[in-house]
Amino acid sequence: MARITLERIVKRYGKNVALDGLDLDIQDNEFFVLFGPAGAGKTTLLKTIAGVEFPQEGLIKIGDEIVNHVEPMYRNVSMVFENYALYPHLNVYDNIASPMRSKLYRQDEATIHQQVERVTKMMKIDHLWERRPSQLSNGQRQRVAIGRCLVRSPNVFLMDEPLAHLDAKLRHFMRGELKEMQSSFNSTTIYVTHDYMEAMSLADRIAVLNYGKIEQLGTSLEMYYTPCNEFVARLFGEPEINIFPGEVEEENGCLGVRALGQQELMPIEEDAAQVLREKEVRQVDVGIRGNDISFSFTPREGSMAGTVYANEPIGNKVVMTVDIHGTHLSLVAPNDTQARIDQPVYIRLNMKNAIFFDGQTQEYITRSQAQSHICSKGMPISERG
Amino acid sequence: MAQLVLKNLYKRYDNQKKSLFRKKKPPNDYAVKNLSFSCHDGEFIGILGPSGCGKSTTLRMIAGLEEFTAGNAYIGDIRINDLKPKDRNIGLAFEDYALYPPLTVYENLAFNMRAKGKSNEEIKKAVNYVAPLLKVDDLLDMKPPALSGGQKQRVNIARAIVRRPGLLLLDEPLSHLDGKMRQTLRHEIKRMHHEIKCTTIIVTHDQMEAMSLADRIVIMKDGELQQMGTPLEVYDNPANEFVAGFIGEPPMNLLRSTIVTAGRGFLFTFADSDLRVEVPERYDSLIHDGMEVTLGVRPVDVRVAKKETAGSFVPIAFYENLGDERRIGVRVGSMLLNMATPDAVYFERGQMVQLEFKAEKTHLFHPGTGERIR
Repeated sequence: MARITLERIVKRYGKNVALDGLDLDIQDNEFFVLFGPAGAGKTTLLKTIAGVEFPQEGLIKIGDEIVNHVEPMYRNVSMVFENYALYPHLNVYDNIASPMRSKLYRQDEATIHQQVERVTKMMKIDHLWERRPSQLSNGQRQRVAIGRCLVRSPNVFLMDEPLAHLDAKLRHFMRGELKEMQSSFNSTTIYVTHDYMEAMSLADRIAVLNYGKIEQLGTSLEMYYTPCNEFVARLFGEPEINIFPGEVEEENGCLGVRALGQQELMPIEEDAAQVLREKEVRQVDVGIRGNDISFSFTPREGSMAGTVYANEPIGNKVVMTVDIHGTHLSLVAPNDTQARIDQPVYIRLNMKNAIFFDGQTQEYITRSQAQSHICSKGMPISERG
Repeated sequence: MAQLVLKNLYKRYDNQKKSLFRKKKPPNDYAVKNLSFSCHDGEFIGILGPSGCGKSTTLRMIAGLEEFTAGNAYIGDIRINDLKPKDRNIGLAFEDYALYPPLTVYENLAFNMRAKGKSNEEIKKAVNYVAPLLKVDDLLDMKPPALSGGQKQRVNIARAIVRRPGLLLLDEPLSHLDGKMRQTLRHEIKRMHHEIKCTTIIVTHDQMEAMSLADRIVIMKDGELQQMGTPLEVYDNPANEFVAGFIGEPPMNLLRSTIVTAGRGFLFTFADSDLRVEVPERYDSLIHDGMEVTLGVRPVDVRVAKKETAGSFVPIAFYENLGDERRIGVRVGSMLLNMATPDAVYFERGQMVQLEFKAEKTHLFHPGTGERIR
């Protein structure tokens, strides 16, 4: 259990800068997720904390101790690797017991037995003690790898994409299992992933990494509702958020956005308009999620005319992509929606949930607070209207 | 007219090499077993299944790259069993692009037609027609090494359709591409098909891809046809447990259950779990006390009950807010039962709730055979 502090970490591989002056403060007992596209520097950062890679500049602190020059084994960290890295010649019991049989962290066999029993019960693999890794399914191997990590009480657990190698179905279930076990981890955890659902589900806080820098640091709901720029906005949510350029104009004392070749201005909620006025922004990019676009096949008041570019049933919903004067917007429709390609369709944007970005810098400007996005507590699931 | 009919197709790969030690190897199992289906002219068919299910073998047999062990195939009215691949009027595009690296994109597209001795005029006309369909009209002077993966695959598909084949076969064309590119190309393949209306068969292991592209899906497992239907049919009415588990994301909850009588109705009970959930009334005539079933219900079709039910209270095992939707899990013995809802709700871990299944969206399967009980 420890707080982990990184100060201005720089890591270069030859000419490539993998970590570019990174600052990070991870709280004691926090479940912290490093999230970003391939090559963003996630795994490098994890290895730097583990001590497998040494940064050229900056300080790494575990607890209050500077550990830049402490060997990995003395840092008291515990790591799960993407490819599990189990000992193929040892059975499940011995694999999980192995960290407690190392020279440095040796325990007596009675304690080992007790601890192995505890984690295998937790991971629901207590019936597999005698099996070798080759006799296990992928999901079970992955649980053994996590179990081996959890069996000690280190300063910090480091997990490098532990679910990435599982197929999609198993990943769903394992994420649930991990989420359920989370509260019994009892230590600081740093978890690397490129799957936004894993990040949102598990994290107390997320750091979005890109090109070795932190784009945004915050909770999963902050990432989803108030992303700091268009890059972060595009990373969270399925289908990807729609972003289109527009111009802020005033009409009859109200601010609106002129976009998508429409005659009418798109309304802007008063509180968001206030911010846009103060900052005197004219060029904006409007971000709107697929859930906030409604459609019909007959014209309605205030709707925009377009054509169906693609209509993709994916089971519990249909993702319809609509072409409006050359811009494609994806929206979520009920799962029995049928549409022909190039058929006319009329859509309406729920501008209350629009996110406004600066048209030049693509940085976040504002969104309306009119619709609360915090889930109401304890409310039973109600039918969707 | 390119209507494709497969009748009782079998394929077995023989162990060609004779063993030195004359050990008699048992014959291989059939890679494709008694496969029959037909598709209409202009239809888009997806063949879907896990690796090793025989889907690529089927495609290769249609293309003429593999011989038939038994069975017949017809394109239009012509039996194609003994036709050479080049005489079957088929366009083929594989996962790896197999473009000619020293030739420009234009020459790559023109290659087949040159080989057939078509005039330059004809070739130009054909290339200029397909190039914009797959958005490769700006790339015609470039050579393959300069292209990205997505562009290569576009050229590859364009080359397959440039001769206007009666049947277009695509073998995992999107597997090499990353997420965004995959989605774009998916849209473009669908639009290309809409434009040229050529009967198309795509082989894929990605259920999302099959669902979003195909008019009808053929689902295979161990060489056998499991179900054929529109995306909505296979999603809403899976023929068996395998199809139910394979189609849909998040995956369907599949739980072993024993049915018991309770008062006027029935309850689902589960091994090692106190969970009790009411059986929807529509099953009353099909079930009896003590019956073993596999219960299948999609995460979106389970919800936390608003009114008190005859079922039991269970604690919430996890709650996650994914922005677009909320996922909630409860523990059922060693399994997790997942729920998904687009509504803005919040639950504490450990909070006691009752569950409710949407009656028309629950499926019962025979625990031995996996067949649907209906």
